[in-house]
Amino acid sequence: MLELDRVARFYGHNLVFKDVSCTFAGGSMSLLLGNNGAGKSSLLRIMAGLARPSLGTARFTADSPKIGYLAHATFVYPALTALENLAFWRDVHGLDNTETDLLNVLARADIAGRAHDRAGTFSRGMAQRLNLARILLLAPDILLLDEPGAGLDAKSQALLRKEVLHARGRGACVVLVSHDLARDATLADRILLLEEGRLAYDGLPALFPPLADVEQACYA
Amino acid sequence: MLRMTLAVIRKDMTLTLLRGNGLVQALLLGLLLIFVFSLSQGVGESLSARSAAAVFWLSSAFCQILMFNQLYALEEVNNSRLGLLLSPAPIQAIWLGKAIAGFVLLLSAQCIFLPATVIFLGKSLSGPPGPSLVILLLTDTGMCALGSLLGALAQGQTAREALLGIVFFPLLTPLLLAGTGIGAQAFDGIDPDGSSAWLGLASAFDAIFLAAGLLLFAFLYAGDE
Repeated sequence: MLELDRVARFYGHNLVFKDVSCTFAGGSMSLLLGNNGAGKSSLLRIMAGLARPSLGTARFTADSPKIGYLAHATFVYPALTALENLAFWRDVHGLDNTETDLLNVLARADIAGRAHDRAGTFSRGMAQRLNLARILLLAPDILLLDEPGAGLDAKSQALLRKEVLHARGRGACVVLVSHDLARDATLADRILLLEEGRLAYDGLPALFPPLADVEQACYA
Repeated sequence: MLRMTLAVIRKDMTLTLLRGNGLVQALLLGLLLIFVFSLSQGVGESLSARSAAAVFWLSSAFCQILMFNQLYALEEVNNSRLGLLLSPAPIQAIWLGKAIAGFVLLLSAQCIFLPATVIFLGKSLSGPPGPSLVILLLTDTGMCALGSLLGALAQGQTAREALLGIVFFPLLTPLLLAGTGIGAQAFDGIDPDGSSAWLGLASAFDAIFLAAGLLLFAFLYAGDE
Protein backbone atom coordinates (compact mmCIF):
# COMPACT_ATOMS: atom_id res chain seq x y z
CA MET A 1 0.00 0.00 0.00
CA LEU A 2 2.95 2.30 0.72
CA GLU A 3 6.49 1.94 -0.58
CA LEU A 4 9.65 3.81 0.42
CA ASP A 5 12.68 3.48 -1.81
CA ARG A 6 16.05 4.72 -0.52
CA VAL A 7 14.44 7.68 1.17
CA ALA A 8 16.75 10.24 2.75
CA ARG A 9 16.07 13.44 4.63
CA PHE A 10 18.42 16.36 5.21
CA TYR A 11 17.80 19.58 7.11
CA GLY A 12 20.27 21.97 5.53
CA HIS A 13 23.54 20.07 5.57
CA ASN A 14 22.50 17.81 8.46
CA LEU A 15 21.60 14.25 7.57
CA VAL A 16 18.61 12.94 9.53
CA PHE A 17 18.38 9.52 7.86
CA LYS A 18 19.20 7.90 4.53
CA ASP A 19 18.61 4.71 2.56
CA VAL A 20 15.28 3.92 4.19
CA SER A 21 13.59 1.31 2.00
CA CYS A 22 10.53 -0.66 3.04
CA THR A 23 6.96 -1.47 2.06
CA PHE A 24 3.82 -1.36 4.17
CA ALA A 25 0.88 -3.64 3.44
CA GLY A 26 -2.80 -3.24 4.26
CA GLY A 27 -3.99 -4.87 7.49
CA SER A 28 -0.59 -4.48 9.12
CA MET A 29 0.66 -2.41 12.00
CA SER A 30 4.25 -1.20 12.15
CA LEU A 31 5.86 0.40 15.15
CA LEU A 32 8.44 3.06 14.30
CA LEU A 33 11.02 3.59 17.04
CA GLY A 34 14.01 5.84 17.53
CA ASN A 35 15.55 8.38 19.84
CA ASN A 36 14.61 12.05 19.79
CA GLY A 37 15.83 13.60 16.55
CA ALA A 38 16.17 10.25 14.80
CA GLY A 39 13.69 11.42 12.15
CA LYS A 40 10.58 9.42 13.03
CA SER A 41 8.19 12.34 12.58
CA SER A 42 9.96 13.44 9.40
CA LEU A 43 9.64 9.94 7.97
CA LEU A 44 5.96 9.83 8.89
CA ARG A 45 5.36 13.17 7.16
CA ILE A 46 7.08 11.85 4.06
CA MET A 47 4.84 8.77 4.18
CA ALA A 48 1.78 11.04 4.46
CA GLY A 49 2.89 13.10 1.48
CA LEU A 50 3.19 16.19 3.67
CA ALA A 51 6.93 16.53 3.06
CA ARG A 52 9.17 15.60 0.16
CA PRO A 53 12.13 13.32 0.74
CA SER A 54 15.50 14.93 0.05
CA LEU A 55 16.45 11.79 -1.88
CA GLY A 56 14.59 8.64 -2.89
CA THR A 57 10.89 8.15 -3.46
CA ALA A 58 7.79 7.48 -1.42
CA ARG A 59 4.78 6.24 -3.33
CA PHE A 60 1.39 4.72 -2.75
CA THR A 61 0.83 1.40 -4.45
CA ALA A 62 -2.95 1.72 -4.10
CA ASP A 63 -4.99 4.23 -6.14
CA SER A 64 -5.70 7.46 -4.24
CA PRO A 65 -5.65 5.97 -0.75
CA LYS A 66 -7.31 7.91 2.07
CA ILE A 67 -4.62 8.99 4.50
CA GLY A 68 -5.26 9.62 8.17
CA TYR A 69 -2.62 11.47 10.16
CA LEU A 70 -2.95 11.71 13.91
CA ALA A 71 -0.20 13.57 15.74
CA HIS A 72 0.32 15.58 18.90
CA ALA A 73 -1.30 18.63 17.23
CA THR A 74 -5.06 18.22 17.27
CA PHE A 75 -6.13 20.02 14.02
CA VAL A 76 -8.99 21.50 16.03
CA TYR A 77 -10.44 25.01 15.48
CA PRO A 78 -11.05 26.25 19.03
CA ALA A 79 -13.80 28.73 18.07
CA LEU A 80 -15.90 26.08 16.27
CA THR A 81 -18.04 23.52 18.08
CA ALA A 82 -17.06 19.85 17.99
CA LEU A 83 -19.81 19.18 15.45
CA GLU A 84 -18.77 22.14 13.26
CA ASN A 85 -15.15 20.94 13.36
CA LEU A 86 -16.19 17.50 12.20
CA ALA A 87 -18.53 18.89 9.52
CA PHE A 88 -15.65 21.00 8.20
CA TRP A 89 -13.34 18.00 7.88
CA ARG A 90 -16.15 16.01 6.24
CA ASP A 91 -16.47 18.68 3.54
CA VAL A 92 -12.71 19.03 3.13
CA HIS A 93 -12.45 15.29 2.43
CA GLY A 94 -15.52 15.31 0.17
CA LEU A 95 -17.51 12.87 2.33
CA ASP A 96 -21.30 12.64 2.37
CA ASN A 97 -22.05 11.84 6.00
CA THR A 98 -25.19 13.28 7.54
CA GLU A 99 -25.28 15.14 10.85
CA THR A 100 -26.55 11.96 12.49
CA ASP A 101 -23.46 10.15 11.20
CA LEU A 102 -21.27 12.87 12.65
CA LEU A 103 -22.98 12.58 16.03
CA ASN A 104 -22.49 8.81 15.92
CA VAL A 105 -18.79 9.29 15.25
CA LEU A 106 -18.56 11.74 18.15
CA ALA A 107 -20.30 9.15 20.33
CA ARG A 108 -17.73 6.56 19.25
CA ALA A 109 -15.00 8.98 20.34
CA ASP A 110 -16.90 9.47 23.60
CA ILE A 111 -17.56 13.22 23.20
CA ALA A 112 -21.13 13.23 21.88
CA GLY A 113 -22.23 15.04 25.04
CA ARG A 114 -20.06 18.02 24.06
CA ALA A 115 -21.01 18.07 20.37
CA HIS A 116 -22.37 21.63 20.52
CA ASP A 117 -19.65 23.05 22.77
CA ARG A 118 -16.78 25.05 21.34
CA ALA A 119 -13.60 23.00 21.05
CA GLY A 120 -11.68 25.79 22.78
CA THR A 121 -13.33 24.77 26.04
CA PHE A 122 -12.03 21.19 25.71
CA SER A 123 -9.13 19.71 27.64
CA ARG A 124 -6.15 18.41 25.67
CA GLY A 125 -7.51 14.86 25.96
CA MET A 126 -10.95 15.84 24.68
CA ALA A 127 -9.46 17.80 21.80
CA GLN A 128 -7.46 14.73 20.86
CA ARG A 129 -10.65 12.65 21.00
CA LEU A 130 -12.21 15.10 18.57
CA ASN A 131 -9.13 14.60 16.41
CA LEU A 132 -9.68 10.86 16.68
CA ALA A 133 -13.31 11.40 15.60
CA ARG A 134 -11.95 13.09 12.47
CA ILE A 135 -9.94 9.95 11.73
CA LEU A 136 -12.91 7.67 12.44
CA LEU A 137 -15.02 9.73 10.03
CA LEU A 138 -12.41 9.45 7.32
CA ALA A 139 -11.86 5.67 7.78
CA PRO A 140 -8.40 5.94 6.18
CA ASP A 141 -6.62 3.26 4.15
CA ILE A 142 -3.30 4.41 5.61
CA LEU A 143 -3.26 5.53 9.23
CA LEU A 144 -0.14 7.34 10.41
CA LEU A 145 0.12 7.99 14.14
CA ASP A 146 2.80 10.23 15.58
CA GLU A 147 2.78 9.73 19.35
CA PRO A 148 -0.97 10.35 19.40
CA GLY A 149 -1.36 9.23 23.01
CA ALA A 150 0.95 11.89 24.48
CA GLY A 151 -0.82 13.61 27.36
CA LEU A 152 -3.93 11.41 27.23
CA ASP A 153 -5.45 9.76 30.30
CA ALA A 154 -5.82 5.98 30.59
CA LYS A 155 -9.40 5.99 29.29
CA SER A 156 -8.51 8.02 26.19
CA GLN A 157 -5.44 5.83 25.59
CA ALA A 158 -7.62 2.73 25.73
CA LEU A 159 -10.11 4.28 23.30
CA LEU A 160 -7.30 5.20 20.91
CA ARG A 161 -5.82 1.72 21.11
CA LYS A 162 -9.20 0.12 20.44
CA GLU A 163 -9.81 2.27 17.36
CA VAL A 164 -6.30 1.69 16.01
CA LEU A 165 -6.82 -2.06 16.28
CA HIS A 166 -10.21 -1.67 14.61
CA ALA A 167 -8.57 0.21 11.73
CA ARG A 168 -6.02 -2.56 11.25
CA GLY A 169 -8.84 -5.11 11.44
CA ARG A 170 -10.70 -3.52 8.52
CA GLY A 171 -7.52 -3.63 6.39
CA ALA A 172 -5.87 -0.28 6.99
CA CYS A 173 -2.10 0.03 6.95
CA VAL A 174 -1.11 1.46 10.35
CA VAL A 175 2.26 3.02 11.20
CA LEU A 176 2.71 4.13 14.80
CA VAL A 177 5.52 6.26 16.18
CA SER A 178 5.93 5.65 19.88
CA HIS A 179 8.43 5.75 22.71
CA ASP A 180 6.52 3.18 24.77
CA LEU A 181 8.02 -0.03 23.46
CA ALA A 182 6.61 -2.23 26.23
CA ARG A 183 3.03 -1.13 25.57
CA ASP A 184 2.95 -0.77 21.80
CA ALA A 185 5.16 -3.69 20.73
CA THR A 186 2.36 -6.05 21.76
CA LEU A 187 0.09 -4.40 19.14
CA ALA A 188 2.58 -4.34 16.27
CA ASP A 189 3.32 -6.94 13.59
CA ARG A 190 6.60 -5.30 12.78
CA ILE A 191 9.17 -2.97 14.32
CA LEU A 192 11.30 -0.40 12.52
CA LEU A 193 14.15 1.31 14.35
CA LEU A 194 15.72 4.53 13.11
CA GLU A 195 19.18 4.89 14.59
CA GLU A 196 22.31 6.77 13.61
CA GLY A 197 20.79 8.05 10.39
CA ARG A 198 19.65 4.71 9.00
CA LEU A 199 17.04 2.00 9.37
CA ALA A 200 18.85 -0.12 11.95
CA TYR A 201 16.14 -2.76 12.42
CA ASP A 202 13.18 -3.87 10.33
CA GLY A 203 11.61 -7.11 11.47
CA LEU A 204 9.36 -9.01 13.83
CA PRO A 205 8.83 -7.69 17.35
CA ALA A 206 9.83 -11.04 18.87
CA LEU A 207 13.27 -10.79 17.24
CA PHE A 208 13.83 -7.15 18.12
CA PRO A 209 16.93 -7.26 20.36
CA PRO A 210 15.58 -5.27 23.35
CA LEU A 211 12.41 -7.38 23.41
CA ALA A 212 14.25 -10.66 22.72
CA ASP A 213 16.49 -9.92 25.71
CA VAL A 214 13.41 -9.42 27.88
CA GLU A 215 11.90 -12.71 26.66
CA GLN A 216 15.14 -14.60 27.28
CA ALA A 217 15.31 -13.14 30.76
CA CYS A 218 11.73 -14.28 31.40
CA TYR A 219 12.52 -17.83 30.24
CA ALA A 220 15.67 -17.90 32.38
CA MET B 1 -12.39 21.30 -5.36
CA LEU B 2 -15.54 23.42 -5.18
CA ARG B 3 -16.72 21.68 -2.02
CA MET B 4 -13.43 22.22 -0.22
CA THR B 5 -13.36 25.86 -1.38
CA LEU B 6 -16.85 26.40 0.00
CA ALA B 7 -15.91 24.65 3.26
CA VAL B 8 -12.89 26.94 3.70
CA ILE B 9 -14.98 30.05 2.93
CA ARG B 10 -17.76 29.02 5.33
CA LYS B 11 -15.31 28.19 8.11
CA ASP B 12 -13.28 31.39 7.69
CA MET B 13 -16.38 33.59 7.54
CA THR B 14 -17.80 31.91 10.64
CA LEU B 15 -14.58 32.35 12.58
CA THR B 16 -13.98 35.92 11.42
CA LEU B 17 -17.46 37.46 11.40
CA LEU B 18 -19.37 35.47 13.99
CA ARG B 19 -16.64 34.44 16.40
CA GLY B 20 -14.67 37.70 16.32
CA ASN B 21 -11.36 36.32 15.08
CA GLY B 22 -9.67 39.40 13.72
CA LEU B 23 -11.75 41.74 11.56
CA VAL B 24 -11.86 44.49 14.18
CA GLN B 25 -8.10 45.15 14.16
CA ALA B 26 -8.03 45.44 10.38
CA LEU B 27 -11.02 47.79 10.40
CA LEU B 28 -9.53 50.00 13.08
CA LEU B 29 -6.23 50.29 11.25
CA GLY B 30 -8.00 51.38 8.06
CA LEU B 31 -10.18 53.88 9.88
CA LEU B 32 -7.18 55.24 11.76
CA LEU B 33 -5.39 55.91 8.47
CA ILE B 34 -8.37 57.81 7.09
CA PHE B 35 -8.69 59.79 10.32
CA VAL B 36 -4.97 60.68 10.42
CA PHE B 37 -5.06 61.89 6.83
CA SER B 38 -8.08 64.04 7.69
CA LEU B 39 -5.87 65.86 10.21
CA SER B 40 -3.59 66.99 7.38
CA GLN B 41 -6.35 69.33 6.12
CA GLY B 42 -6.41 72.85 7.48
CA VAL B 43 -9.65 74.57 8.40
CA GLY B 44 -11.70 75.08 5.24
CA GLU B 45 -9.26 73.08 3.15
CA SER B 46 -10.06 69.86 1.37
CA LEU B 47 -7.91 67.06 -0.01
CA SER B 48 -8.04 66.61 -3.75
CA ALA B 49 -10.30 63.85 -5.06
CA ARG B 50 -7.24 61.85 -6.16
CA SER B 51 -5.67 62.11 -2.69
CA ALA B 52 -8.91 61.02 -1.04
CA ALA B 53 -9.12 58.01 -3.37
CA ALA B 54 -5.48 57.17 -2.59
CA VAL B 55 -6.20 57.27 1.16
CA PHE B 56 -9.20 54.99 0.66
CA TRP B 57 -7.11 52.42 -1.23
CA LEU B 58 -4.21 52.71 1.21
CA SER B 59 -6.59 51.88 4.06
CA SER B 60 -7.95 48.97 2.06
CA ALA B 61 -4.46 47.65 1.33
CA PHE B 62 -3.33 47.77 4.99
CA CYS B 63 -6.59 46.20 6.07
CA GLN B 64 -6.04 43.48 3.50
CA ILE B 65 -2.61 42.56 4.84
CA LEU B 66 -3.95 42.09 8.35
CA MET B 67 -6.92 40.11 7.08
CA PHE B 68 -4.89 37.59 5.15
CA ASN B 69 -2.40 37.21 7.98
CA GLN B 70 -5.37 36.45 10.19
CA LEU B 71 -7.07 34.10 7.73
CA TYR B 72 -3.94 31.98 7.34
CA ALA B 73 -3.14 32.15 11.06
CA LEU B 74 -6.41 30.28 11.68
CA GLU B 75 -4.75 27.14 10.27
CA GLU B 76 -1.69 27.46 12.49
CA VAL B 77 -3.37 27.34 15.92
CA ASN B 78 -3.47 23.55 16.12
CA ASN B 79 -1.59 22.83 12.90
CA SER B 80 -4.78 22.31 10.91
CA ARG B 81 -2.77 23.18 7.80
CA LEU B 82 -1.56 19.57 7.73
CA GLY B 83 -5.14 18.33 7.79
CA LEU B 84 -6.02 20.56 4.85
CA LEU B 85 -3.00 19.36 2.90
CA LEU B 86 -4.15 15.75 3.34
CA SER B 87 -7.40 16.49 1.52
CA PRO B 88 -7.83 14.74 -1.83
CA ALA B 89 -8.97 18.06 -3.36
CA PRO B 90 -6.42 20.20 -5.26
CA ILE B 91 -4.44 22.40 -2.89
CA GLN B 92 -5.50 25.48 -4.86
CA ALA B 93 -8.92 25.09 -3.24
CA ILE B 94 -7.37 26.51 -0.06
CA TRP B 95 -5.97 29.52 -1.93
CA LEU B 96 -9.29 30.14 -3.66
CA GLY B 97 -11.31 29.71 -0.46
CA LYS B 98 -9.11 32.17 1.43
CA ALA B 99 -9.14 34.63 -1.48
CA ILE B 100 -12.95 34.62 -1.68
CA ALA B 101 -13.32 34.90 2.11
CA GLY B 102 -10.84 37.81 2.03
CA PHE B 103 -12.78 39.41 -0.84
CA VAL B 104 -16.03 39.37 1.13
CA LEU B 105 -14.30 40.69 4.25
CA LEU B 106 -12.56 43.45 2.28
CA LEU B 107 -15.83 44.54 0.69
CA SER B 108 -17.40 44.60 4.17
CA ALA B 109 -14.54 46.76 5.44
CA GLN B 110 -14.83 49.09 2.44
CA CYS B 111 -18.52 49.59 3.23
CA ILE B 112 -17.19 51.34 6.34
CA PHE B 113 -14.10 52.96 4.79
CA LEU B 114 -16.09 54.65 2.00
CA PRO B 115 -18.46 56.65 4.24
CA ALA B 116 -15.51 57.35 6.54
CA THR B 117 -13.60 58.83 3.58
CA VAL B 118 -16.61 60.93 2.59
CA ILE B 119 -17.09 62.22 6.14
CA PHE B 120 -13.51 62.71 7.34
CA LEU B 121 -12.01 63.93 4.04
CA GLY B 122 -15.01 66.06 3.09
CA LYS B 123 -15.79 64.42 -0.26
CA SER B 124 -19.02 63.55 -1.98
CA LEU B 125 -19.73 60.70 -4.36
CA SER B 126 -20.70 62.74 -7.40
CA GLY B 127 -19.10 60.65 -10.15
CA PRO B 128 -20.71 57.90 -12.22
CA PRO B 129 -21.29 54.85 -10.00
CA GLY B 130 -20.90 52.21 -12.75
CA PRO B 131 -17.15 52.45 -13.50
CA SER B 132 -16.42 53.06 -9.80
CA LEU B 133 -18.18 49.89 -8.77
CA VAL B 134 -16.51 47.87 -11.52
CA ILE B 135 -13.04 49.14 -10.61
CA LEU B 136 -13.74 48.49 -6.93
CA LEU B 137 -14.56 44.86 -7.69
CA LEU B 138 -11.65 44.46 -10.12
CA THR B 139 -9.12 45.98 -7.75
CA ASP B 140 -10.42 43.93 -4.84
CA THR B 141 -10.21 40.77 -6.95
CA GLY B 142 -6.55 41.39 -7.74
CA MET B 143 -5.71 42.38 -4.17
CA CYS B 144 -7.33 39.21 -2.81
CA ALA B 145 -5.76 36.89 -5.38
CA LEU B 146 -2.34 38.30 -4.49
CA GLY B 147 -3.10 38.62 -0.76
CA SER B 148 -4.12 34.98 -0.52
CA LEU B 149 -0.90 33.91 -2.21
CA LEU B 150 1.32 36.04 0.00
CA GLY B 151 -0.71 35.20 3.12
CA ALA B 152 0.36 31.60 2.59
CA LEU B 153 3.96 32.78 2.38
CA ALA B 154 3.57 34.71 5.59
CA GLN B 155 2.03 32.02 7.80
CA GLY B 156 3.84 31.07 10.93
CA GLN B 157 7.09 32.95 10.79
CA THR B 158 7.49 36.49 12.09
CA ALA B 159 10.23 37.35 9.59
CA ARG B 160 8.03 36.10 6.77
CA GLU B 161 5.14 38.22 7.98
CA ALA B 162 7.34 41.25 7.59
CA LEU B 163 8.11 40.04 4.09
CA LEU B 164 4.40 40.01 3.21
CA GLY B 165 4.09 43.75 3.57
CA ILE B 166 7.33 44.41 1.73
CA VAL B 167 6.39 42.23 -1.20
CA PHE B 168 2.72 43.17 -1.21
CA PHE B 169 2.89 46.88 -1.89
CA PRO B 170 5.12 47.08 -4.98
CA LEU B 171 3.09 44.33 -6.65
CA LEU B 172 -0.13 46.14 -5.88
CA THR B 173 0.98 49.42 -7.44
CA PRO B 174 -0.78 49.01 -10.82
CA LEU B 175 -4.04 48.02 -9.15
CA LEU B 176 -3.82 50.88 -6.67
CA LEU B 177 -3.14 53.32 -9.54
CA ALA B 178 -6.24 52.11 -11.35
CA GLY B 179 -8.30 52.23 -8.15
CA THR B 180 -7.07 55.75 -7.37
CA GLY B 181 -7.63 56.97 -10.94
CA ILE B 182 -11.25 55.89 -11.07
CA GLY B 183 -11.78 56.62 -7.38
CA ALA B 184 -10.90 60.25 -8.09
CA GLN B 185 -13.62 60.33 -10.75
CA ALA B 186 -16.08 58.90 -8.26
CA PHE B 187 -15.29 61.66 -5.77
CA ASP B 188 -15.32 64.70 -8.08
CA GLY B 189 -17.19 63.50 -11.13
CA ILE B 190 -14.46 64.71 -13.51
CA ASP B 191 -13.27 62.21 -16.09
CA PRO B 192 -10.06 63.56 -17.66
CA ASP B 193 -8.46 60.26 -18.68
CA GLY B 194 -11.49 58.09 -19.26
CA SER B 195 -12.07 54.93 -17.30
CA SER B 196 -11.48 52.29 -19.97
CA ALA B 197 -7.68 52.42 -19.68
CA TRP B 198 -7.82 51.91 -15.91
CA LEU B 199 -10.33 49.08 -16.27
CA GLY B 200 -8.06 47.39 -18.79
CA LEU B 201 -5.04 47.75 -16.52
CA ALA B 202 -6.89 46.33 -13.52
CA SER B 203 -8.28 43.43 -15.57
CA ALA B 204 -4.83 42.55 -16.89
CA PHE B 205 -3.26 42.49 -13.42
CA ASP B 206 -6.20 40.50 -12.05
CA ALA B 207 -5.51 37.87 -14.68
CA ILE B 208 -1.80 37.83 -13.80
CA PHE B 209 -2.41 37.51 -10.05
CA LEU B 210 -5.10 34.83 -10.48
CA ALA B 211 -2.79 32.79 -12.69
CA ALA B 212 0.11 33.28 -10.28
CA GLY B 213 -2.05 32.10 -7.39
CA LEU B 214 -3.13 28.95 -9.20
CA LEU B 215 0.40 28.11 -10.31
CA LEU B 216 2.49 29.07 -7.29
CA PHE B 217 0.32 28.29 -4.28
CA ALA B 218 1.28 24.61 -4.13
CA PHE B 219 4.94 25.58 -3.77
CA LEU B 220 4.28 28.08 -0.98
CA TYR B 221 1.84 26.16 1.18
CA ALA B 222 3.36 22.87 2.27
CA GLY B 223 3.69 20.55 5.23
CA ASP B 224 7.45 20.95 5.52
CA GLU B 225 8.82 22.73 8.55
